[in-house]
Amino acid sequence: MSELQAAIFGALGGSLFGLMALGLSMGWGFLKNINLAHFAMILLGGYLTVDLATNLGMSPVATIVITAPLLFLVGALVQAGFERFDVSEFNSLLISYGLLIITVQVVTNIWTADYQRMAPDVNPLAAESLRIGPFVFPAPTLLAAAFAVALVVLAQFVLEKTYAGRALQAFGQDRQIASAFGIDHRMLGVLLAGASGASAAIAGMLIAVGEPLIPFSPFEWIGRVFAIVILGGIGNVKGTLYAGLLVGAVSGVVALAWGPSASPLVVFSLVVLALVFRPQGLFPRKAGH
Amino acid sequence: MRHDRGWIALAAIGVGLFLVPVLWEVTDFAVFYLVFLSGILFWVAQATSWNILSGYSGYFSFGQGAFYGVGVYTMAVLFGRHGWNWLLVILIGGVLAMLLGLGIGALAFRLSSLKGEIFALLTLAFPFILAGIVRLFDAIDGGQGVVVPVPSFPELLAPFQKFYFVLSSAVALLALTVAYLMHRTRYGWALFAIRDDEAAAEGLGVPTFFHKMIAIGANGLIGGLSGAVVALNLGFVSVEGTFNLTVPLFVIVMSVLGSRNHWAGPLLGAVYIHTLQNQLASGGFEGWSLIVLGVILVLLMLLAPEGLMARFTRRPALAGGVFVSVLVGLGLLRVWGDPVSWLAAALGATAVVAFLPGGSARVPGLVTAGMMTGDEGDPLDVTSIPPSDGSDGPLLVATDVAKNFGGVKALRGVSMSVVKGELVGLVGPNGSGKTTLVNIVSGAFSPTSGAILLNGTEIVGSRPHRIAHLGIARTYQIPRPFSSLTVRDNVAVAIMFGREPRRLGASRQAAGEYLDLVGLGRLADALPGQVNLHERQLLEMARAIATKPGLLLLDEAMAGLNPVEIDNAVEVVQRIRASGVSIVLVEHLLRVVNQLATRIVVLDQGIVLAEGDPGLVMKDPAVVKAYLGRQADAPGD
Repeated sequence: MSELQAAIFGALGGSLFGLMALGLSMGWGFLKNINLAHFAMILLGGYLTVDLATNLGMSPVATIVITAPLLFLVGALVQAGFERFDVSEFNSLLISYGLLIITVQVVTNIWTADYQRMAPDVNPLAAESLRIGPFVFPAPTLLAAAFAVALVVLAQFVLEKTYAGRALQAFGQDRQIASAFGIDHRMLGVLLAGASGASAAIAGMLIAVGEPLIPFSPFEWIGRVFAIVILGGIGNVKGTLYAGLLVGAVSGVVALAWGPSASPLVVFSLVVLALVFRPQGLFPRKAGH
Repeated sequence: MRHDRGWIALAAIGVGLFLVPVLWEVTDFAVFYLVFLSGILFWVAQATSWNILSGYSGYFSFGQGAFYGVGVYTMAVLFGRHGWNWLLVILIGGVLAMLLGLGIGALAFRLSSLKGEIFALLTLAFPFILAGIVRLFDAIDGGQGVVVPVPSFPELLAPFQKFYFVLSSAVALLALTVAYLMHRTRYGWALFAIRDDEAAAEGLGVPTFFHKMIAIGANGLIGGLSGAVVALNLGFVSVEGTFNLTVPLFVIVMSVLGSRNHWAGPLLGAVYIHTLQNQLASGGFEGWSLIVLGVILVLLMLLAPEGLMARFTRRPALAGGVFVSVLVGLGLLRVWGDPVSWLAAALGATAVVAFLPGGSARVPGLVTAGMMTGDEGDPLDVTSIPPSDGSDGPLLVATDVAKNFGGVKALRGVSMSVVKGELVGLVGPNGSGKTTLVNIVSGAFSPTSGAILLNGTEIVGSRPHRIAHLGIARTYQIPRPFSSLTVRDNVAVAIMFGREPRRLGASRQAAGEYLDLVGLGRLADALPGQVNLHERQLLEMARAIATKPGLLLLDEAMAGLNPVEIDNAVEVVQRIRASGVSIVLVEHLLRVVNQLATRIVVLDQGIVLAEGDPGLVMKDPAVVKAYLGRQADAPGD
């Protein structure tokens, strides 16, 4: 495999991580929550896809008809809880960490700690690939990239062109002023968190289509996804996608050159470099108390 | 008094740990209890070391597994594979983990953007990166796992369980001692100040970088020592078994459960969680352990983030009584369970009692009225203050100081000086650059260009704590007290790290003097959140002068006050000046400036518009146009 193919292949895979980062980044930027439970919802989305496709004979992609509304509800409920208890940015990190490990254990108890994947006849996509020019791409990767791009474009559109989107932006910049202008932040926050949950369901489905799952998968995703959130700029929708592509491409090339174990090191170094060279603007600061 | 109680508690723990193996020789109780206690001790060491960084300083880490893992694999490779002396290897494991901590700190703590949440997220990655390295290199592990043989140890300590108990005791006792010593000295208090407000701490003279490095170094060292010791007990180590969720998760839950502000909090949490885990395992509920821990974490964060320690100290007799009576009662009756389940029941009952409503936080009796009636002493006669003759030479000289924020030129070449004994009023309309100048002089910002000399020493480019040590203190327009420390301790921290540093006890005593100077003596034991804005602003002043500055920068120290409070604040400023401190007073209220200032500097749009005698400057047409024109209807004149 050439470096170019590795880069393109990695970038396409990275776009899926960009999609995983999308909900987190918006929650952090606009709602001031660092919601590790997002990873729990992605995990649930993945396992539900496997389960529904295997046991009900649904097409894996079609399972999002069930999982997206379900996880919309879960995401909205978690946010409503954060609102109810007036949870600070930092405490949201700890509480959602608790929710994540609860989910990991529940998933382990239901589906065992072994790798879960759909049988080839349930998930025919996994074996297919598409030749574009000189390159061959597995169908799951292309599907993930297509969904990621579509959802990012949709999110960007909603944010820029709709009342709710603009209200969210206003709210992300200054909660009190936005509230004073009559923006119902609770409703907006719950809706956004719900949408994040739905996006987690889709991301989970895309992961399940492409690769096997274990209950501890979230802890393999966290590092890379947060690298993307930080590189892309917290709350920056398009930036998240670009960062996903970048991180994916870099990991692809690094994995080819030095082996897969080296890519987390490189991604981590990227984050540190970003923090050194572009700290301001990327990192909204809390006001002093 | 509390001081002694801590030593007594530590000594009691030490003696108890020494007696356990002796008692075991005599009574021959089941080896299981030694193993059980060793398990608690392992978690005491891990959680306490985590708490030194994450609890004391607030730099929350999800990466305890990295330090633990370095210790484990140092033992596995150097002792397990190469047969080095195990005692030496324990020390090497500690040192390597400490170096890892210092490396992470050198990277992370240099970046001012890398605060709280971002630091926490970065630490999530460390164990996974280490796991990758360990898996990658066959010389370390290569993915196959490493066997750690049983070491040879003195016959006196046989069998292995007793030997391992002794080692675990030593590390746990070390962890507790370090945590306790830090809690009682400047090393801990620097971290408490950092946790509450890092920038304010740095401005008061706390070398924040240094103290954060100490904390992460101690975290790494003890985490590594403990990891190396536990590897001896494991017999076989693997990547999956080492760099997993368990250690980072457990230390967090234990410390949150116990208390993150108290040296013994993680100890308490470790006893609770390890006993609970033991009960879950013996009851066949291993599959529920993460769920139980997660639920505990979520509920604690929502309902009782301050932890059990705070609850117990609120009603110690009741908590202690319930614990002892349940434990002894079950032990005497012997109708149910084994000693560990008696312990679990006693712990559970105590926790229930602790969380019962009713024993809410003890609010110190506050006297907030009668503060500003002027009965604190005779108002000072301003004329009695010797006028400055400039013979001492200038204290502060700023030359051509400019500051750009992106395209905004906040300061466009400001030159001004302050002579010893002066009280310079720095005035100007909103956005004229007053606060920016204060931030530059105190070192919070560095100027785009220009020079600032303090007593002839260039201070541009120095860290704020260095500038504080050279003799500049500042207050914030919106007060930034250390919210978890009492009013007295806020001032004590400033003394501990000021120009004439003292120990904690002496600083606390001396703090009263400064509180009396600003008239806050009666609120010494209140928390900053319990006093009003005026009192918080007075606290800002007390804290600033406690560093023994030559020059005090007061940034709108009277904003938002009512006329009576302003009169009181003016009087306090006069008292401060009378004590020999030169002052730069940033102020909007012309009445105050006219009353206090010996000289006025007017800033407008980033340049000095006029300066000189207050009476004359205020008649300057340019000043009237730029400043008075917009302030003509201001109250107070």
